[in-house]
Amino acid sequence: MSGSHLHSAALMGTVVNIQVVRTADQALDRLAPDAIERAMNWFRTVESSCNRFDPSSEVRQLSRQIGVAVPVSAILFEAVQFALAVAEESDGAFDPTVGVAMEEHGFDREYQSGASTASGVRERGTVKYRDVGLDVDARTITLQKPLLLDLSAVAKGLAIDLAARELASYGHFAVDAGGDLYAAGLNPHARPWSVGIRHPRETDQCIEIVQLSNAAMCTSGDYERRRPADDGGHHILDARTRESPAAVASATVIARSAMVADALATAAFVLGPADGVQLLERSGVMGVMFTPGLERFSTTGMAGAAIFPNA
Amino acid sequence: MIPAPPESGPPPVMPEPPAVPTVTLEPLKKVRTEKVQKRANPKTVAAEVPALVAVTPAPAVAAEPAAVPATTAPTVEPKPVEPPVPPKPLLKDGTYSGWGTSRHGDIQATVVIENGRIASAYIAQCLTRYSCSWIAGIVPQVVQRQSAEVDYVSGATQSTNAFYYAVLEALSKAK
Repeated sequence: MSGSHLHSAALMGTVVNIQVVRTADQALDRLAPDAIERAMNWFRTVESSCNRFDPSSEVRQLSRQIGVAVPVSAILFEAVQFALAVAEESDGAFDPTVGVAMEEHGFDREYQSGASTASGVRERGTVKYRDVGLDVDARTITLQKPLLLDLSAVAKGLAIDLAARELASYGHFAVDAGGDLYAAGLNPHARPWSVGIRHPRETDQCIEIVQLSNAAMCTSGDYERRRPADDGGHHILDARTRESPAAVASATVIARSAMVADALATAAFVLGPADGVQLLERSGVMGVMFTPGLERFSTTGMAGAAIFPNA
Repeated sequence: MIPAPPESGPPPVMPEPPAVPTVTLEPLKKVRTEKVQKRANPKTVAAEVPALVAVTPAPAVAAEPAAVPATTAPTVEPKPVEPPVPPKPLLKDGTYSGWGTSRHGDIQATVVIENGRIASAYIAQCLTRYSCSWIAGIVPQVVQRQSAEVDYVSGATQSTNAFYYAVLEALSKAK
């Protein structure tokens, strides 16, 4: 066994673990810690663009400019563009304009300090993803109404993808951000990465195990990020009702990209088992969902292994 | 199931790749293109998997050079994997504690770093209105299981939890 370079850091509201399998190329191997640090920095970069809890973030600055085409970074543009695409695809069940609704449900605090970071955005009437305009050529975003974007379902996946790109030359590595992850190549035992799906009720156990190579796996669960109000709700809202959906306990998606897997896991979670699986099938990804009663729903392509060729 | 969008004509489910953003996002554009192709044949993914499983051969960068069959003409003389330079531990080994605060109370976490990685993390003290047993359930999520059976676990994050911030504070002391 050849071992790995390992590094953990607390980033983007979770603990990020990066593991790079040691390579026989000693020059490359020696540079691995630096590459890992650069990979970690992508999480900081994405967070500075997309973190709705940080008043100085790009997404918060955007919410202060209503009706104006605002030039934004490539990262924010990519995150918003993809979130809107998934909103369209899920018929608005998933919708990144739920930022204010999330604040109303108590997700308005910087938990490290306990200080309120509420945006102060006052919505007028209902807001929907169609109130966000994009100009691809000018790379601008226009908020047609006062609203706050919540990019929590795409930002972490985007950061994982960027970190993975940073490490691509190593071929064999894993980027894990608190249970959303990308696994490249083979593990230190020269086998595909073995990734468990957390049991949504016995959360110290796995409900099933999948072999991954060059694939991302992301899970949305009702057991994560319980609401501060402690009223049985959780951190995922159905944008159409502004309530937490209750039909799904966890939704896991496997895709080539973590951003795709992350967003579609959330969208499938909101849509419920039947429509959720349909969405995943349509999108050409694999997925498995469990209801609170542990009934299992999956795409036809969902198998015990997702081994993709190197991108 | 995809209703035609009322205001605009073309109903492409995923956007076209962005015109010319920065190079940074190149791989994501590739993914998107590929998704479109896959949609044309939704069975592609499923069909690919068994074949590729069978094909998965020795890794290009052999993790265990000894396993490479001698018959293959190695382009590079396989050097013994003997990394003389140990990876720079980015977290210092040791045991650290930190406090996390939420509106519901405070939690003290203790984190043990071994070989630069979080080996374990547990609640040392719990002064919240949640029960300690409820919070204890989320502790394993901080530490990846390192059994032979599972490399990683896909699950949930606990960003709003005081425990996370207690771990964060502990980790900051380990730098």
